[in-house]
Order: sequence, then C-alpha cells, then structure tokens
Amino acid sequence: MKIFRLKKDFEKFSLNIDSLDMSEQKIYGIIGPNGCGKTTAMKLMAGIMQPDSGVVDSGGLTARDITMVFRKPYLMHESVLKNLLYPLKIRGITPDMQYIEHLLELSGLQALRDTYALTLSGGEQQKLALMRAVVFSPKLVFIDEGFSNMDIESIAVFEEFILKMQAKSKLTWVITSHQLSTIRRLCEHVIFMHAGEVKAQGNTEEILSSPQLPELKQYLQFV
Amino acid sequence: MFNFLSTETLGIIALSLRMTLLSTAIASIIGVPFGLWLDKAHFPGKRFIVLFNRSLMAAPPVVVGLVAYLLLMRSGPLGFMGRLFTFEGMVFAQVLLLTPIISGLVYNAAHRSAANIRAFAKTMGATKMQTQILLIRELSNDIYFAAVTGFGRAMSEVGAVMVVGGNIRYHTRVMTTTISMLRNRGEIDVAIFLGVVLLIVAFAVQLIAGFLRKREHRTDENF
Ligand SMILES: Nc1ncnc2c1ncn2[C@@H]1O[C@H](COP(=O)(O)OP(=O)(O)O)[C@@H](O)[C@H]1O
Ligand SMILES: [Mg+2]
Repeated sequence: MKIFRLKKDFEKFSLNIDSLDMSEQKIYGIIGPNGCGKTTAMKLMAGIMQPDSGVVDSGGLTARDITMVFRKPYLMHESVLKNLLYPLKIRGITPDMQYIEHLLELSGLQALRDTYALTLSGGEQQKLALMRAVVFSPKLVFIDEGFSNMDIESIAVFEEFILKMQAKSKLTWVITSHQLSTIRRLCEHVIFMHAGEVKAQGNTEEILSSPQLPELKQYLQFV
Repeated sequence: MFNFLSTETLGIIALSLRMTLLSTAIASIIGVPFGLWLDKAHFPGKRFIVLFNRSLMAAPPVVVGLVAYLLLMRSGPLGFMGRLFTFEGMVFAQVLLLTPIISGLVYNAAHRSAANIRAFAKTMGATKMQTQILLIRELSNDIYFAAVTGFGRAMSEVGAVMVVGGNIRYHTRVMTTTISMLRNRGEIDVAIFLGVVLLIVAFAVQLIAGFLRKREHRTDENF
C-alpha cells in the first residue's frame, strides 16, 4: 500500500498526505488526536471512500484482499454465526468449522453463536467484526479503533491473536488506537497525523519515547 | 335491502382483496427499486424529485383517481386500451396512488442506512450483485413495512377506485365503494357491518403477513 498526493476536502476539514509507504508485510499504527483524519485516511486507502485527487496504489491487491473494521461495526440483521461466515459465503468458500469454532471460542462468542448479532454489547460487536474481517484471510487489514469498547483482558487476547496470525501468515495491518499500549505491542512502525497531515513517522519506540515535534509532544503529554 | 351474507358480499370482499394485493405488488415492484435508486443516484434536481415524491405520498386519492380517469378515458392518452370502469383501471389508479408511498418510505430507509451497508459490503469484498442483494436483505424490514403501509392504504381508500371503477355491481364494486353507496342509501347498519368486515379482513391480512415474516428484533443503542 502506497499513496501519493492524496487529497480529500470536506467543508471544515482537508486531508493532505504527500506520500506514505506501507508496502511491507507488517503492522503499522496510525495515531493522532480526534479529528486529525485517521479514519478518513483509512477509508481512502481501503477504497471505501474516493479521494478528490491523488493515487492509492494497493500493489496489485483487489477489493477481495482488503478489509476494514470500523469502531462501530456494521452487523447484518442475522445471527452471530451468519455474520462471521458472510465473507466466506460471498466467496463461495466452504467454512472450516473447526477454525470457525476456534475463532468463536477465542472471542468468547461460542454461547452467542445463534444470537441475533445486533443484541450484542459494543465490545462483543467489535470482537465479531474483527473475526469476520480476518476469517477469509485478507492480505491487507485496516482496524479503526477496533478494540475501543473491549475489556482489558479481551484487548490482550486480540492483540495476541493478531500477533500470532501475523507470525503464521504475513500480511499488512494498519491499526489506529488511542491505547498507546496496543500500538506499542503490535506496531513496528507508527505514523503520527495532525490536522489532516502526516507529521511524523518511524519506528514505534523512537517516535513514542523521544518525540521531537511539538504537536506530538502535546498528544503524548498525558500518557 | 342489502343482503350481507350473500355470495355477492363474498364476491365484493374477494374483488377488494384481489385488487389490493395486485396493486400493492405492482407498486412494490416499481417503488422499491426506485426508492433504492433515488438514494444512490446523484443528479441535478434530485432534491426536487425527493420533495415531489414526498408530496405525492400525501396526495388525496380522489385527485389521483381523477388523474387516472383523465389518462384512461376514451379521448385520453391511454383511452385506446378501453380500461375505464374495469378492474384493471382500478388497479392502475391504485398503483399511481401507492407507488410514491412505497418509494418514499423505501427512500427514507435507504437514506438512513444504505451508505453504511454499502461501505460494509466493500469491506467484505462483495461484488455489485452481492451488494445489491445484501442491501435488499438488510432493508427487508423497511421494505416490508412500506408494502404493508401501501396495502393498508389501498384497502381502505375509496376515492380513486370510485372515480375510475364507478362502483359497478358484480364488476368494480369493492368494499369501500359499497360502504359509501350504502351510506348514501341510508342503510347505515349494513354499512357499519361491512366496515367491520373490512377492518377484520385488513387485520387478518396483516396477521398472516406477520406470521410469514421472520420475527422482528428489537434493539437499542448499545455501545
Ligand atoms: N463525510 C464527512 N463529511 C464532512 N466532514 C467529515 C466527513 N468525514 C469526516 N469529516 C471530518 O473530517 C475530520 C476528520 O475526521 P476523521 O478522519 O474521522 O478523524 P479521526 O478518525 O482522526 O478522529 C473531522 O473533523 C470530521 O468532522
Ligand atoms: Mg476515527
């Protein structure tokens, strides 16, 4: 995933990213204050929103290989299990039920498999959405504040899950989170955004431990 | 004196049902896709079309009947078909009446959630066709509600079918026109009886439709 001269204007906000290279198979993090454009940048990169100008080069990946998880995920008016199987169904893939059971167990949703998905709690909905996004083995996954409603233990479980999945079959992840602990544990590379622009990026520890930029210092000052 | 336990009465009830079901079906086949399309399409004058549609939702049936009459009368643009004062003529008038109601309700529902559903479909890698199917399935509660509302309107209105059908015995006499006729003749008690039958039939149809429909789920905001 590479982007060049990406521009998107709203009435009161404009996103401007000159260039960004996330073409390695690793876990990237995007941080920055509310309203700095993280979600917008992700939607543009995931092909869910069209830019006003600029290039999104997904390096040969198609819409079938790319997925995104929203903070407030869309769940179909169906059971938990049917939601989880949907991406497989539309690809004509017969689900490996052992793997499905494993995912349900891991996210603590086994007992809720036949429950109507919209009755799940916010955290449970996020778990289901995360599992649904990876069940079809995508090559590029965007997770936009995907843990924000989860309890602390569940966050740890999902971090573990992502790291394991990454160790087994390399793919590219792009994650936003206001939990810097999550960013630290998962991401090798972090990108700091401010007012619609990429202001700093680099190795996560370097960026977070010794911030140079005043905006970044301010963002990190209450940690 | 009107004999309300005769085969004639049963015939009137049957004709009402046949007319209402057929006009609801045709109006849904036109109105549902139109409502969905109107939400998705962007063109100059869209706002006007939406407002126009909304005004037609509240159009008095007599006026709609009059328009249908002018179209169907011998010297009118559709006069060559010879359908004035026929069953088909009444269905035509009711389709004019119901289509904007159904398309308007579907448009409103789509406007509320179609963008989210489409974005979700993209994250899942759904094809255009799969997205369309998902959209209809996810909006099926709203589509069902629109059709049922249309059905209720068609069943109970008297203006349009009176003007176009003419309340001809054994031919275009339906429940509402019969009630209106009986009232004019002063046979109030029979009119009331038929009115009650109309309510019972309408209720029974809703009951059957409700049974055929999968259980509707109630959810609250839960985040
Ligand atoms: N569809 C939209 N129309 C108008 N403004 C928008 C739209 N989407 C986002 N914005 C604005 O763009 C800014 C950045 O939003 P967002 O990318 O969601 O920020 P972040 O995810 O970093 O908190 C916000 O001020 C938001 O109000
Ligand atoms: Mg955001």
